[in-house]
Amino acid sequence: MHVYIYDDYLNKNKYNRAINRLEIRLTDLGLNGKIIRLDAVKNIKSAIQNEIKNGSKTIVAVGNNQTINKIIGAIIESDIYSDFQQKTLLGIIPIGDDNSIANSFGIKNIDEACNILLARRIEKIDIGLAGENYFLNQSTIESAGTILEINGCMIESSDRGEIKIINLLSDKGETIKSNPHDGKLEILIRTRRRDQSFLTVKSLKIYNPKHKLIVDNVVEIDTPVEITTRTDKLNVIVGRDRLFE
Amino acid sequence: MFSKENKPESFREAETIIGESIRVKGNFQGQGNIVIEGYLEGSVKTEANLLIGDQAKIVANIEAKDAIINGEIKGNIKAKNYLSIGKTAKIFGDIQYGELSIERGAIINGQLLMINDDHKRGENKKQADGEITEKE
Repeated sequence: MHVYIYDDYLNKNKYNRAINRLEIRLTDLGLNGKIIRLDAVKNIKSAIQNEIKNGSKTIVAVGNNQTINKIIGAIIESDIYSDFQQKTLLGIIPIGDDNSIANSFGIKNIDEACNILLARRIEKIDIGLAGENYFLNQSTIESAGTILEINGCMIESSDRGEIKIINLLSDKGETIKSNPHDGKLEILIRTRRRDQSFLTVKSLKIYNPKHKLIVDNVVEIDTPVEITTRTDKLNVIVGRDRLFE
Repeated sequence: MFSKENKPESFREAETIIGESIRVKGNFQGQGNIVIEGYLEGSVKTEANLLIGDQAKIVANIEAKDAIINGEIKGNIKAKNYLSIGKTAKIFGDIQYGELSIERGAIINGQLLMINDDHKRGENKKQADGEITEKE
């Protein structure tokens, strides 16, 4: 059975039309299932965990990056994680802004998302871990003043710019490649004078006393923080146009 | 990996690229190709290829399969296979190589030593002090 987790921001009027179109499309494709609205749930974690315990085959995040992070946060460190990994798939239906994770999986809009759910093309995906926060796409921080500690090496940039720690690419035009199955993270440092650096690592520690690390464009966390990956943690239903092999 | 101008063809081909604004301190090890355009202090070792850009400053011993040196190095170099020293290179340290090419204008202050005694080319050992003016 499919369980659709609707994020709480979708109760705004401006999303009514999109939700109606989604529900009609799901019914047409025979994909309709149980709907859980996060605005009506007091304990998100237990609501999602109960659905997995009850044998849901597919948990579908209806919303944006934040919705996906809420679902991952609810299952990854819980008792039901091994059940989830063996029996349950994660689907995504992007609605509204801030949908870089769906974009990485080749899911661009509601209609495509429904077709992709039907096709059930499955990929095992690594998850990035920054401190206690999980991320699928990337974590970012200002480059000036940031020190990266990698296998005992200290790496720092003298220029302003951005450091990205990438698990899963979200931009098709990016000049680097990133594999979300290899247990590694890519570090991309771009400074204002168009200077670029690139490294591939299994783990690193980040220090910056002035700037915070931003995880999947959603959560800001203080440094120092250790970043690593958990390999092949999620079974995700992906599109043909995903940004990885 | 590298183009005729001794530059990486693209970011996709190098496992590690250290840009001009980056400072690295420590022992840097890799399996894949490494490009260094910035500052590094410590040591560098890779099983694959190494490119030191013309703006790079390295205070370290370096070891690679193939290496192209265009920047400044204070430390010893070991290129198991092929070593290319460009015209902008300044090397203060001993050099071990399988095959060697040196461009006119390169500055080398150290000992040159061929790794493989059975190698067909040239002498096994030669000393070079001061500026190299002839291209091999």
